[in-house]
Amino acid sequence: MSNVFLSLKDIRKSFGGVHALNGVDLEIRRGEIHCLAGENGSGKSTLIKIISGIYKPDKGQILIEGDPVQSLTPKSSIDAGIQVIYQDFAIFPNLSVAENISINHSVLTGAKRMNWTEARSLAAEAMSRIGADLDPEVLVENLSVANKQMVAICRAIINDAKLLILDEPTASLTAKEVDALNEIIKNLRNKNMAIMIVNHKIDEIFNIAEQITVLRNGEKISSGPASGYTRRSFIRDLTGREITETTYEPEKSDEEIFRVEKLTRHGEFSDISFEIRKGDVLGITGLLGSGRGAVGDALFGVAPATEGKIFLNGEEIEIRSIDDAIKYKIGYVPEDRLTQGLFLNRSIQENTTAASLKKYFIRGKVDEKIMLNDTIEWIRTIGCNAKDAEAPIRTLSGGNAQKMVIAKWLNTSPRILILNGPTVGVDIGAKADIHRFLHGLAKDGVGIIIISDDLAELIQNCNRIIVMHDGKAVRTVDTKDVDETSLSKMLSD
Amino acid sequence: MNAKIKQKLLSNEAIVVYIILLLALIIGAVNPTFISPATGINLLRTMLVTLIFALSEMIVIVSGGIDVSFPAVSCLTMIATIKFLLATGIDSVPITYGIGILIGATFGALNAFLITIIKIPPLIATLGVSSLTSGATLAFLGTKIYTDLPEKIDTMHRISIFSYTNPAGNEYSMTALILIPAILCVLIHLMLRHTMIGRGMYAIGGDIQAAHVVGFNVAKTRFFTYILSGILAGTGAITYMILMRVADPKVLMGEEMMVIAAVVIGGTRITGGHGTVIGTILGVALLALVKNNLIILGVPTHFQTFVVGMIIVFGTSITSIRAKRIAEQAKI
Amino acid sequence: MAPKKSLVKSIDKHTLILLGLSVLIVITMGVHRPKFLGSANLQSMLVQLPEYGILAFGMMIAMISGGIDLSLVGIANLSGIIAAVVMLGLGGTPFGITLGVLGALSGGVLCGAFNGVLLGYVKIPAMLVTLSGLQVFSGLSLIITKGPAITGLPEAFSKIANATFVGVIPYSAFVFVLIVIVLSYLMNQTVFGRKLYLMGTNRVAASFTGINILKTTITAYILSGILGSTAGILMASHYNSAKSDYGSSYTLLTLLIAVLGGVDPNGGDGKVQGVFFSIIVLQLVSSAFNILRINAFIKTFAWGLILILVLTAINIPKIIREQKKG
Repeated sequence: MSNVFLSLKDIRKSFGGVHALNGVDLEIRRGEIHCLAGENGSGKSTLIKIISGIYKPDKGQILIEGDPVQSLTPKSSIDAGIQVIYQDFAIFPNLSVAENISINHSVLTGAKRMNWTEARSLAAEAMSRIGADLDPEVLVENLSVANKQMVAICRAIINDAKLLILDEPTASLTAKEVDALNEIIKNLRNKNMAIMIVNHKIDEIFNIAEQITVLRNGEKISSGPASGYTRRSFIRDLTGREITETTYEPEKSDEEIFRVEKLTRHGEFSDISFEIRKGDVLGITGLLGSGRGAVGDALFGVAPATEGKIFLNGEEIEIRSIDDAIKYKIGYVPEDRLTQGLFLNRSIQENTTAASLKKYFIRGKVDEKIMLNDTIEWIRTIGCNAKDAEAPIRTLSGGNAQKMVIAKWLNTSPRILILNGPTVGVDIGAKADIHRFLHGLAKDGVGIIIISDDLAELIQNCNRIIVMHDGKAVRTVDTKDVDETSLSKMLSD
Repeated sequence: MNAKIKQKLLSNEAIVVYIILLLALIIGAVNPTFISPATGINLLRTMLVTLIFALSEMIVIVSGGIDVSFPAVSCLTMIATIKFLLATGIDSVPITYGIGILIGATFGALNAFLITIIKIPPLIATLGVSSLTSGATLAFLGTKIYTDLPEKIDTMHRISIFSYTNPAGNEYSMTALILIPAILCVLIHLMLRHTMIGRGMYAIGGDIQAAHVVGFNVAKTRFFTYILSGILAGTGAITYMILMRVADPKVLMGEEMMVIAAVVIGGTRITGGHGTVIGTILGVALLALVKNNLIILGVPTHFQTFVVGMIIVFGTSITSIRAKRIAEQAKI
Repeated sequence: MAPKKSLVKSIDKHTLILLGLSVLIVITMGVHRPKFLGSANLQSMLVQLPEYGILAFGMMIAMISGGIDLSLVGIANLSGIIAAVVMLGLGGTPFGITLGVLGALSGGVLCGAFNGVLLGYVKIPAMLVTLSGLQVFSGLSLIITKGPAITGLPEAFSKIANATFVGVIPYSAFVFVLIVIVLSYLMNQTVFGRKLYLMGTNRVAASFTGINILKTTITAYILSGILGSTAGILMASHYNSAKSDYGSSYTLLTLLIAVLGGVDPNGGDGKVQGVFFSIIVLQLVSSAFNILRINAFIKTFAWGLILILVLTAINIPKIIREQKKG
């Protein structure tokens, strides 16, 4: 066991009485790719922050190469050879590639002078190690997300990293880019580096992991070689329940609600056509960069389509701006809840009524009382666990907050509701609530479109799925004809 | 390689150079005597003090802040210094600069404290300091305008590094004071480009969170930036006093507009993280050229404020649109 | 029960502090300098207060929307000058005065639209837009006046600020009260007001909620511009003249009033009621300074100091809370 680099024993950490980690053990070896899997709120980010020295554990032991470490600070963690690449990469858009790669090194060595020659050679060396080929002089603001990630990886490995931790590294990468990243990771593994990847996408984990640890509710559920896991056992460990094989099947109806013909936005997607009948829940999936999100943005007028026709209840409509979408009662639950969906500092009531202010303008004033009653009604209807409608919405958990984002749109009595990644960062219970609710809406004649890369979610909740690739709808399938494996194949073909 | 040359030719600095050249051509066409060494000397003289202030503002903007307090601080510096000199009978240029630098640094530290520790937005903090300082100068140091500078200080501006006599027999001499902004430009350029503290300013202006993560001492860098900016403001104040042979408690008020405009037109992004000394020099030169020649171009004096305002509006619009384009551009 | 609850809530802690401060100043000054409560002082307070009070509301709106308006004084002066030019041109008739006032207000609308478009469409930061705006508007004023003040405005016009109702209350005070009423209605009871707060809290989320950012931003700055020009009209009436550089100390004062009144410099928060009491507190302080014969420069010094101290007092608890958190 000499190649164990990092070992954690019985790590406990709580925040104001809430247990984030409840006695977690973890062992990471050199030359091995270890996946840390867990749903949101499982404690995996807390664990990373403990390893990187940002949080101090309340209890437990940390050993680095067999030696117990008394207290880990961000600096001592880096000195020990631990490098974390966060989701936002923490790189500088205004600096060149070379400087971004070398800056960490220059700061940590306490250099007073900026040595450009050294910076360039460090960058070149790091890039050659992972086979990246970027112009060292170009400013990072001009790079794609994948190339920004390359820069972050380069920066991490020049400091003689022994353990590289990647936090959800594939979250915004296209399929090709994920393959390239996996190659790099394997390469580093071969050079005897310890790698820990935090992820929750099954396919990606099975593709690369050699060792898996699953966390749920702050506890380690299982740990072992990847070969010891099956899809079924992994999902059970991850979610605490069996995979349900049921799919959504609406009652047959001929009543067309929404139809889109040859919708195109140059440079984003082209020739997208579909129709939604009463009861339908349409899924749109595809890898990042496939244009799945852009279709949602176009239908809501954020980045409108340049060509094609849209029909609402058989009548042709034009959506050129968000104002148009609102006029035709189209609602949109955006992808990034925190920045796009919520007014964090404002009350639940203000959030819930934000999209339907006009209807509360009664007899020359905004009627707070009706607003409050409606909000309380929605909290009840949608099953949000909120005690006070006038409390700031930031006090709600991810799942409850997302329910209120949906309620915000339901309060406008939408005819079409588009949801982009509706259950990202939502716990299992709330997820089920949201899905049940969407089915009810569909039955009542609201056209529902779910845009997601969570295939299980689509299969269980949609009756038809459009698979997008490079801006085109490559397949349109009935959910009953596919399963996760076959659908996931369609994504990358 | 070709792409790089093209990039250089389309850079912000290059565009300002084109505009300066175009403007010079137009002015030269209207008034042929414009193309002469005398114009250069006049231009440099106009730029002299503004350039020092522009450097002071530029480093603050690069690090993601803003400083509108330097005119007030400079006025206080001038009056406090001259009062001290007259009271003690000291007549030494180095000591004068020493005092100026000390006062500037103190106010820089005050700004840094309010912005970094108390977390007041930079604009509001420096507006407050501006009011505080300006009020203090006029209330406690008096409203007197001093023209009776001690002799050595008073004659300092006469030292000239070269002079030019035009065909009409008028002599134009370049004061040695120009060396001060010249040396400062070189020093600030070296600092920004070749020291880690300078790179730290860019890093903080680019992404303050990321600067924390890679291990920069963010608070220290920001303090350093504002103190250095204060030192530059103090130096600018003393230079103004020596050049103009006057210490006036109000004369520089309002100067922040021209200075911020010059910095932004020179390619410094108001949102932080971008900016160079060369660009700043060009920005100052462009505005000085406009200011000195509006009359030649047939613009009446009372139109000046408006014209300068419109130049600022266009200058900032161009920078803003360029930044927007970069954000929307296809990524490599 | 419900109305009682909302009444208690509507008078928040912040307002209570401001109210307490006002009472304290009135009592202290009233005891030591009885002149403070004399009708002459009251009247002079009521003349001054509307001028920067209205400007402060302009600042409040810009700040709630997530920006700042440093061009308000420029708008005020330009509007005063427009009014003066129109009135003098039309020879001081009631029709001329009306047209002058309307012209001034349209000037405010245009200036506000100028700021709003550069901000919302070209996306230049508010600080830079309004700072350039100040330069442009002052420049226009200079072009019109060529420097010196325009004097000799019609007598009827100067009565707005200088004549009084029942001997104490200047008519400009009624304009101020009217604006307070309209603004509290606009900010609290209308869809626009709600949208403005939401936009100031989170611009991106507001856009994804169907709030038209461009329209709301332009409206907010037009509103701020109208308030600027209203103040300008009152100033012109008060001084019986218009000039390009009156009231240059007002920018800081309006910022101070807004911050003291509880407006969040980062946007999204602030109440008409808080700003109203803040205006009163500062007018009382200013008047006290006058009666104590404290000169204008010390006032400038004091406004700067108070601004810094108020923000320090607001921010320190936040900083301590953050440090505790980790």
